[in-house]
Amino acid sequence: MSAPLCHDRRRLLQAFGGAALAAVAPPRAQAQTPDNTLNVLTAYPDEVVTRFVAAFGAAYPQYRLNMVWRMPHEALPYLQAPDQNGIDVYWSASPRTFAQIKAAQGWQVLPETLRSLPPRIGGCQLSDPQGYFVATEMAAYGFALNRARLRQRQLQAPSDWPELCDARYAGLIAMPDPARVGFAPVMLDIVLQAYGWQRGWALWQEIAGNAQLIGRGGSFVSDSVGTQGEAAVGLSIDFFVASAMANGADLDFIYPRHSGVNPGQVAVTASTPHREAALAFVGFLLSETGQALLLHPDLRKLPVRPSVYRQAPRGSFNPYLAAQAGGLDYDSTRTQARLGLLAALCEPCLSQPHAPLQALWRRIHAGEARGLKLAAARRELCRMPIDEAQAAELAPREYARRLEAQSESAPRAIEAQWSAFAAAQREQVARLLSAAGA
Amino acid sequence: MPRFCLLLLLLCAQRVLAAEDREAFNHPLPDLSAGQQVQFFEGRTLMHQSWIVAPSQDTQHDGLGPLYNQLACSSCHPKNGRGRTPDRRDERLQSALLRLSLPGPAGAAPRPHPAYGEQLNEQGIPGVPGEGSVFIDWQMQSLSLDDGQRLTLRRPRLRIVALAYGPLQGALTSLRVGPTLIGMGLLDAVSDETLHAMAAEPKPDGVRGRVNQLRGEDGQLRLGRFGLKANAPNLRQQIANAMLGDLGISSSLHPQQNCRPAQRACRAAPTGGEPELSEAQLDALTRYLALLQVPPARAATPATRHGAQLFMRLGCALCHRPQLRSGAQALAPQLAGQDFAPYSDLLLHDMGESLADHRPDYEAGGRDWRTAPLWGIGRIKAINEHSQFLHDGRARDLQEAILWHGGEAQTAQRRYRALSAQDREALLDFLRSL
Repeated sequence: MSAPLCHDRRRLLQAFGGAALAAVAPPRAQAQTPDNTLNVLTAYPDEVVTRFVAAFGAAYPQYRLNMVWRMPHEALPYLQAPDQNGIDVYWSASPRTFAQIKAAQGWQVLPETLRSLPPRIGGCQLSDPQGYFVATEMAAYGFALNRARLRQRQLQAPSDWPELCDARYAGLIAMPDPARVGFAPVMLDIVLQAYGWQRGWALWQEIAGNAQLIGRGGSFVSDSVGTQGEAAVGLSIDFFVASAMANGADLDFIYPRHSGVNPGQVAVTASTPHREAALAFVGFLLSETGQALLLHPDLRKLPVRPSVYRQAPRGSFNPYLAAQAGGLDYDSTRTQARLGLLAALCEPCLSQPHAPLQALWRRIHAGEARGLKLAAARRELCRMPIDEAQAAELAPREYARRLEAQSESAPRAIEAQWSAFAAAQREQVARLLSAAGA
Repeated sequence: MPRFCLLLLLLCAQRVLAAEDREAFNHPLPDLSAGQQVQFFEGRTLMHQSWIVAPSQDTQHDGLGPLYNQLACSSCHPKNGRGRTPDRRDERLQSALLRLSLPGPAGAAPRPHPAYGEQLNEQGIPGVPGEGSVFIDWQMQSLSLDDGQRLTLRRPRLRIVALAYGPLQGALTSLRVGPTLIGMGLLDAVSDETLHAMAAEPKPDGVRGRVNQLRGEDGQLRLGRFGLKANAPNLRQQIANAMLGDLGISSSLHPQQNCRPAQRACRAAPTGGEPELSEAQLDALTRYLALLQVPPARAATPATRHGAQLFMRLGCALCHRPQLRSGAQALAPQLAGQDFAPYSDLLLHDMGESLADHRPDYEAGGRDWRTAPLWGIGRIKAINEHSQFLHDGRARDLQEAILWHGGEAQTAQRRYRALSAQDREALLDFLRSL
């Protein structure tokens, strides 16, 4: 059902361009601030923001950047407000927000001169084909490794996701909680695309059974794999770990056979009166200077300008070369609409019952080690409450507005059904295991 | 035991860390309890949190401003290290700020400027004009060391433009750089008795040292430990001061927004709660900073050992004390009753006219500054990618910082100028090893 989107579209059209609305809209924020001020809405962390603000200020001292910080799930309503809340530029790693604002005609087309960088890498559409937004950086998914701990357990470094189901990894994997950590749903989806809905979820169920879940606002995956924790493998987006490594952490990071890219992008709002300054900022982000900033040890994001990799430290990952070799096969747009649903689905199926899930997997692994045949229990524990077709139908209807890591005040009715399904499933698995002597 | 022997023992006992550890100011104390570890990680997240303009769905982190300097604590204390002042005349302040006040009665808290308060907030949330902009013109001056080596020092001259709320007539100003945040829990635990005892101790070379006594609105007298003029009695207060002054985040210790009476848009702006920083968040930030580990000094070399002896012989250690002991009351059990080496006495010293900001703060006069702790000073270049020192970042390296010392430190500074080049380098090597 598309009613919510249609409603949003009307609101946005009114907000961005409606002449009739102009008379009642509040005065633009910048009207009270110096006209050289550029309001940039972003969700980038302070380490990124301060570095780019300083460098842009050096290159363009005539402009002043005013950074307005909001999480991606708040950016959408913020940019839907009258006059787009005075925002001139949106700069963030939230492809769904860019797509939704584009659908509501909230961006300006960028000039051709700012659209010369590769629009795709591997399976990922980096920049908008119509030129409403362009990628400024990338991040890819993989495994943080504590090789010393792997050696202690006589484990090889995993090369792809299925290897993490090995019972010997139990307790040694740090996994971001997909219901709470913003970058995790894309990671889930990489595996679902690569192995299909059914097999992919089975992998995640078993990996989660082996893993400790890392939430938001506490420790990082790199803490768990590093000296603060006990994990040997951390599932992560690369820059967290690459930055920790560049700053001295004794870790390693590898990209599995199936990986993918999440782009950070930038767009200029339809309502900005500061087009020249906004384009200067976009141009700076894409310039050789701006792109080289991404290589700094505190950031370690992947530049979108291929030539910048010549400046990268020796041995750095080059996603363009990896894509040429067949890696980074994840199609980021094909299943983009279901990311919010995946996060919601994880709450009752993986996150909330994580402790009993771990216990069931321990029983399965222990039973199988004793030679018991537990295929029925495995099959049951890996079932999901909805199939891929139902997810495809449900996602745009129920979860179009839910972005990754967005918490909602109360679960929806369908989530209560999923929760009941998962609880019944666990009981059934426990019965099957008991019957099998596990 | 002579002081330099004690210092050498301390140095020899310290573990060696890789020079490249740019996270050296981010590590927790070893052996945190599970509960402490949770608090440490929560505090770390808050330290890096970019605050959000209210209202927001993220009610835990909204309430930025309405007037503020930066979005996050880490903006001014990058990697828990030092901020810097702009080198270029067209560069904006990013990790530095300008304190303001009007002349007031001696011994009292600074009198806020009626239009701008105690700090120039360069930024405002949408709809609230920022208060103005500060730029720096550097004035250069030259000097010679006793062996004839010529040097150039720079002194900041402020250019305050685009004032949005009228002139700053009569305001006292003080440019400040965000300081390093390590070891705060140990400093917090230095007892009043220790501070008084250090102040009372007779010292040579005209060195005195006073405690900043802060009389609060409740009439109670507290001793200053934190802030460049020791104007905050404890870590929790210092954090609450910075949250309001730098980010515009209210707390139980500062329940009002940072708006002056004439700042109408500021006063009309929505808040992020009353207060905006919860007690739990203030606790988490306090515990986080208290539990940060002080990185060990680098392994001693013949040069650093010689430099350490010179540090004592020149009289640097009269104020930059290599040994303090924390009291029984501390924010964590690990911090109580500890010997530690901050290279500070936490006391106020007259640092001479050249470093004076002429802005009194309680009992700290316009020439007084609290002895800056030197622990971690040798890691600033690697961690923060600059080598600016002193309260306003005017010193471009450690030698310049020494040469700016005057007042009670004049004798030590003269002795430094008389050293041979080799001895000067040994002393600097020692400082770089901290």
